[in-house]
Order: sequence, then structure tokens, then C-alpha cells
Amino acid sequence: MATRGIDFANLSLKDALDLAILIEDEAQERYEDFAAQMDQHRTPEAAKFFRYMVENEAKHGRELTARRLQLFGDAPRSVTPAMIFDVEAPDFDAARAFMTPRKAMEAALASEVKAHAFFVAALPALKDVQVRALFEELREEELEHQHLVQIELAKLPPESGLSEEDFVDEPAPQ
Amino acid sequence: MSATGTCEYQPKDYKSDLKPIWCPGCGDFSVVQGIYRALAAIGRPPHEIAFVSGIGCSSRIPGYTTAYGFNSVHGRALPIAQGIKMANPELTVLAAGGDGDGFSIGGGHIAHLIRRNMDITYIVMDNQIYGLTKGQLSPTSQKGRVTCTSRFGSLEEPVNPLLYVLAYGAGFVAQASPTDLVGMAATIEEAIRYPGFAFVNIQSPCVTYGEEAQQIKGLKAISETLASLGHNPADRLAAMDLAQHYGEKLHLGVFYRNPEPPPTYGDLVKERQALLSKDAPPKERILDLFIKK
Ligand SMILES: Cc1ncc(C[n+]2csc(CCOP(=O)(O)OP(=O)(O)O)c2C)c(N)n1
Ligand code: SF4
Ligand SMILES: [Mg+2]
Repeated sequence: MATRGIDFANLSLKDALDLAILIEDEAQERYEDFAAQMDQHRTPEAAKFFRYMVENEAKHGRELTARRLQLFGDAPRSVTPAMIFDVEAPDFDAARAFMTPRKAMEAALASEVKAHAFFVAALPALKDVQVRALFEELREEELEHQHLVQIELAKLPPESGLSEEDFVDEPAPQ
Repeated sequence: MSATGTCEYQPKDYKSDLKPIWCPGCGDFSVVQGIYRALAAIGRPPHEIAFVSGIGCSSRIPGYTTAYGFNSVHGRALPIAQGIKMANPELTVLAAGGDGDGFSIGGGHIAHLIRRNMDITYIVMDNQIYGLTKGQLSPTSQKGRVTCTSRFGSLEEPVNPLLYVLAYGAGFVAQASPTDLVGMAATIEEAIRYPGFAFVNIQSPCVTYGEEAQQIKGLKAISETLASLGHNPADRLAAMDLAQHYGEKLHLGVFYRNPEPPPTYGDLVKERQALLSKDAPPKERILDLFIKK
């Protein structure tokens, strides 16, 4: 998780909202990629959970976008997707072929924890009162997201005892 | 479009619809993300970029971008990339592949692109193994490494890719890894911007056949940015000194950037063509030269 070229001290409310939208977009895209990887590697249960996360991230993104439109209309965006690196998106190496739904949920939980840590770490640098309030709100939402994943985790039956190591993934020959 | 009316590209614009078939967790997923970001920062439209690779898991990478791509022949990414650059010098040309592709079968090509200073960026996804063919020794595998082709441990010293290209005189030499995504994207961007042959070695873990120490956690434990060491990238000898630690330490960033890049092969050819074409007859009369009066 990292950022590039963001001046947190001088972040405007518009930039902060745009950043939050980009963070949701990035996470949504990563979960879509993970779901596609699970489809490809015949791991449908994990794919299903990752698609649930795609929906969650998309919903949050839509809410933030509506707010941005209401406050700033279509004023040009000055932050770019190239400024954020896996803030809420699970790390690219968090997926494994044949991962169990539990492992998939644990990966999502770790990303929510990571996103929460990002907002906590960014707060001291923020000067604008409205931006601070937004980041505090986003920080609290990450806690809620963690709670949602924990609820899904609690619904799971006990693990079978099999791990990914019990399967061999076969890269395609060429 | 931006407010100023110029086209701005986003990382997504370089992502193709093809879904990678790499093993989930493979380090190459991070490399392709780094490339999307670097290309977005440079901002050339995808159709002005040619991306050539050899054969291997890593060599699938051009297909996952929207640039013109060629997943070519094992070990032959560089000569093909060179041909493309000479035929159409306006293109931004990238070449990529694995440690096997680049330093075994294709090892002989590197020297020639370096001595010509071909304006090409060469990205090697170094996982110290032949991934695609299921885990045989590669030229960068450590001595003692047990694989299906070295049951009792490898007897050979690994190739040091960094020293290899520095010794041949490459003008831009860098190393990156998924342990630092920001650094990786910035390094790839800088390599593409360098006017000449630029080499980026990326430690990209193979989660299926790689060893524990070569996974993200292991890499994090030995990584250190060159900037934090106060390294001056204009100092080639200091770069060579640091490059000797390949395999024990993971130094990230730019080892060497020639502060006065020499002309590229493309520049020299253009100059030569201009010189020779001064006294040349007009194109429409070329045939006359061959027709005896
Ligand atoms: C001429 C030729 N020789 C051998 C092969 C078999 N082969 C395919 S990929 C490969 C090596 C792959 O290792 P590397 O280049 O490190 O890429 P990775 O899969 O690790 O990314 C080999 C030997 C081939 N395809 N063509
Ligand atoms: S075999 Fe290794 S290098 Fe190839 S896709 Fe799988 S993890 Fe990546
Ligand atoms: Mg390899």
C-alpha cells in the first residue's frame, strides 16, 4: 500500500473525494481480477465471494461519486489512478489457486484492515477541516467493512483440513 | 480529455481484455500493474507502443496490455524489438521476458543491443526458475538449488544480470520488485524515458516453483533502496560494486544512468542516411542507375 505524489497537507475536499473514489475503483478492479483468476483456476466458491466484494466496493464507489457530483459537478479531476497503489485493493499476491472461501475472506479482511490503517496514517497530515471529517468517516467505514467480512466468515462451516498445497496448479504448456 | 484539452491516459487504458492465465499470486501480476502505471505517466497512446516478448510465463505480458504486442520466440524478443524500432523509430518499444529467456537462450543478443544503444526498454521478470516448463534450473538460480533438473542441487554459479549488462556498457540499469510498487512503476517509467537501451531487472516471485526466500516476505527482508544508501546513479563503478550483491541483497532503484547518453543506433542511421542521400538521385530516377544507356 502506498501513494505517489499526493500532497495530503493541501488536499482539497474535491481531491479527497476523488481519491476515495479511485481507491474504491482500484479495489473493485482487483476483486474483479481475483474473481476471473478463480474462474480460470476452477475455484468457484472463492470467485463468488470476490464478486460479492466487487459489488460492495462498487456500491461504496457509487455513493461517493453521487456526493462528488452534488458538491462539485463535473469539475475536472486533478488526482489520478496512478497516484494510489493497493490502498484498499487486496495485494496482488493475496490470491492463490484453489483457495478456500475462508482464505478469500481472510484476504478481503486484511485489505479492509490495510485501508483503515491508510486513513489513520493520513489523518495527521490533513489540514482542511472538511477533508479531515471525510477521512474520519472513511476510516470508520473501513471498520464497518471489516465487520461485514467477519459476519461472512462466521457463517462458514469448519475447514476441510485441505490446503492449497494439496493441489497442484498446472501452468499451460507452450 | 483534461481541462486543457490534452489527452490523458489512465493505467486502465493499457489493460487489455485478455485475462492473465498466470497462477494467482504470481509476481508478474504486479509487474503488469507497474507497466500500466508507467505507460499512463508517459502518456503515449497504446497504438504508438510496441511490446515484444519471448516465451515463458512472463513473456505472456504483452497480451495483457493494449499496446501492439508480439509473444514471439524463446530468447528472441530483443532482435525482433530491434527490427521493429529500426523499421518504425517513432514507436516506443518495450521488450520483456524471463530470466531463462533473457540470460540463457537469448543471452547473446543483449550485448549487441547495448553496444548499439538501441532505444529499447528491456524488462526481465527474474524468478530464478523456468516457470512455464514447470520448475527447471534457470541461469539465475542459486548454486545448490534443488529442482527437477538438479535433484542434488545445482553445481553452477548464477549469472548476475545486473553486472552482465553493466559490464557491456548499458546506459540505464535498474532493479525493482513488487515489495515496492511505487518504486517499480517509477523505475519502469524512467527506463522508458531514457534515450537508449534501458534494462530493468524485476525480482518477480514464482509462487508455484519459487523458494520461500524468494517470495514477497523473503524479498522484503533483504530489500533496500539505492536512494536510501545515498548511491549516485551517475557513478558506474559504484553501481558495479553494489550490483555484486545480487542474490544476497535486493537493491531497488537505478544503479546506473549515463549522465551523457550517447546517440542511439537509430540516430546514427538517420544521420548516415541524410549524408548519403545528399548526392543520391531522386527516388523516381533510381531505376535509371540500373538501366544501361
Ligand atoms: C527454442 C525453445 N527452446 C525451449 C523452449 C521451452 N521453454 C519454454 S519457456 C522456457 C523457459 C522459461 O523460463 P523463463 O524464461 O525464465 O520464463 P518464466 O516462465 O520463468 O517466466 C523454455 C526452456 C521453447 N519454447 N523454445
Ligand atoms: S509457474 Fe510461476 S512464473 Fe509461471 S505463472 Fe505460475 S507462479 Fe508465475
Ligand atoms: Mg523465469
